[in-house]
Amino acid sequence: MSADPANRPMTEDTPPGFEWRLRGRAWVLGHDIQHQGGVVPAWIVTGRHMDPADIIPHLFEETDPGFHERCRPGDIIVAGRSFGMGPKMNGYIGMQALGLGLVCESMPFLGYRGAIGAGLRVLTDCQGATEECATGDELEVDFASGLFINHTRGSHREYPPMAESLQAVVALGGNTGWLRQWWAARNP
Amino acid sequence: MTAVEKVLARASGRSELGAGEVVEPEPDFIMVHDGVVLAARRELDALGIDRLARPDRVMMVTDHEVIYPSARAAERGAFNRKTARDWGVRWFFDVGQGGHGHIFPMESGLLLPGMFYFDNDRHSTNAGAIGAFGFRMGSEIGRVLATGTNWVMVPKTIRLVLRGRPRPGVLGRDIGFVIARHLREGGSWGLNPDYRVIEFAGELDVYDLAQRTALCSSPTEVRAYGTFFPPSETILAHARSVAQRPFTPVFPDADARVEAQVSLDVSTLEPQVALPGGVHRAVDVSEVEGTRIDHAFIGSCGSGHYEDLQAAARLLAGRRIAPGVRLMITPGSERSTRRMLDDGLMKVFVEAGAVVLPAGCGACNDGVIGPLHSGEVSISTFAGNNHGRLGPKDAQLYLGNPATVAASAVAGCIADARRMEAAA
Repeated sequence: MSADPANRPMTEDTPPGFEWRLRGRAWVLGHDIQHQGGVVPAWIVTGRHMDPADIIPHLFEETDPGFHERCRPGDIIVAGRSFGMGPKMNGYIGMQALGLGLVCESMPFLGYRGAIGAGLRVLTDCQGATEECATGDELEVDFASGLFINHTRGSHREYPPMAESLQAVVALGGNTGWLRQWWAARNP
Repeated sequence: MTAVEKVLARASGRSELGAGEVVEPEPDFIMVHDGVVLAARRELDALGIDRLARPDRVMMVTDHEVIYPSARAAERGAFNRKTARDWGVRWFFDVGQGGHGHIFPMESGLLLPGMFYFDNDRHSTNAGAIGAFGFRMGSEIGRVLATGTNWVMVPKTIRLVLRGRPRPGVLGRDIGFVIARHLREGGSWGLNPDYRVIEFAGELDVYDLAQRTALCSSPTEVRAYGTFFPPSETILAHARSVAQRPFTPVFPDADARVEAQVSLDVSTLEPQVALPGGVHRAVDVSEVEGTRIDHAFIGSCGSGHYEDLQAAARLLAGRRIAPGVRLMITPGSERSTRRMLDDGLMKVFVEAGAVVLPAGCGACNDGVIGPLHSGEVSISTFAGNNHGRLGPKDAQLYLGNPATVAASAVAGCIADARRMEAAA
């Protein structure tokens, strides 16, 4: 897949209006931010809260109080190693609903699977990403190609893109959206 | 290719496949257990999806709440029964049929060497014992039921070479606890087992299906996503004798690309006990001998084969469990329950004062049946022993092999089965 902005890949399933490229501010987090506690409070996980309206007011509550009020759609969370340990997907549902993107140095596979399933624009295995930007930097990230641009620093990196077959899931808003479209296509 | 790459390549219609590639394999079957049918049905109903892609490949097992401990469970049982009918599920194992979904399909020839299947549950890793690969889907099992498949990123493989023969009295679970100690992130092997397949190699002929299953259990608890044993002649003979359909075993290529290779000399190991908090907290049994217990349990996906029950019965024959201790035996399959009756094991267990539960997960399903009380001490063959697994966070959950657990139930405290056998 090319990282050339002129050759942006578009999967055939990408619905109109869906943007693979986000431009917004960086929110840089450290390493080992646990899903339960770090991303959302434990009671959100144990209570199986899956409604974005329930999750959003508590997103990163214990890591960065008030985050949900300060972030804007298009902003990008840049996390270090082992982000979101714990297989639940509540936090990713909240991030997706807020229109955020996630770039991290590593995350457990089930966390990655949960993020894709929630329809979150996510890149993992982005080595050194937390050193490529600081909180507040103006970033532009193409989640389909892996192109990572820091406009504040005038730098760019090319990270591993999201596998093409997973792009359809994300573009349709996650597992449920994908499944709805799959069924509708077979039962017009 | 590694063994699991070969299994996935065959299921995906590919001749070559490597770690990191994303495929949509066609499963030999799709397993869903009694605890998650409700959520999957609701998800599909909400989308108007009223039929499954391949109901002829769906296996619905009743193992998590075999006896209904609540009105809610009874309601769920009725719901599952209706759903199996509505969906036209080919293999529906209701209460008292089949047994533990990660044990009985290997015993009865439904899960065979070389097969690939999807499963909602993470203990699908047991499939490696017979040389197959089961892929955990969690809540995404709905998509598999609806469409017949789902995306799979081919996992990386770690080759684990077992050297030497275990001493008498050292069983698969003991070796499994030691593997977990080294393998876990931060362990002495310096590996990250997250989403890896553990492919066993080396001197493997000594391990029968039960021992292989036991060895596949503990890596799962430190986040391995799959395990694989190249099937031995004994395993293949078993598979051929029970196979309900044709199968083609797979073996890894000698030059397969693996992420890492580690080895373990099993010949010096002692029976192990995993201390409360995790299977990786393994110590020699001598370090905890004498620890008083209230509760003991033999069974679960890690120790649910007939041979595990035999190992316990050897200790319990002619003995009684200690006053104040309760011992529960949970066979992995209805087939084992019948064998226990025919071979006299049932008599041994009942005369020893044990309670025999129906085949399935038993109390290992988070203590939904048979929880502990605050402060109680348990030794069991559960799959895991995270704090709170059996209810109270301050209950102490030790793990051991089936003989260690049986000996401990007799002694009333954690005991070395070898010494008890020698004293007889």
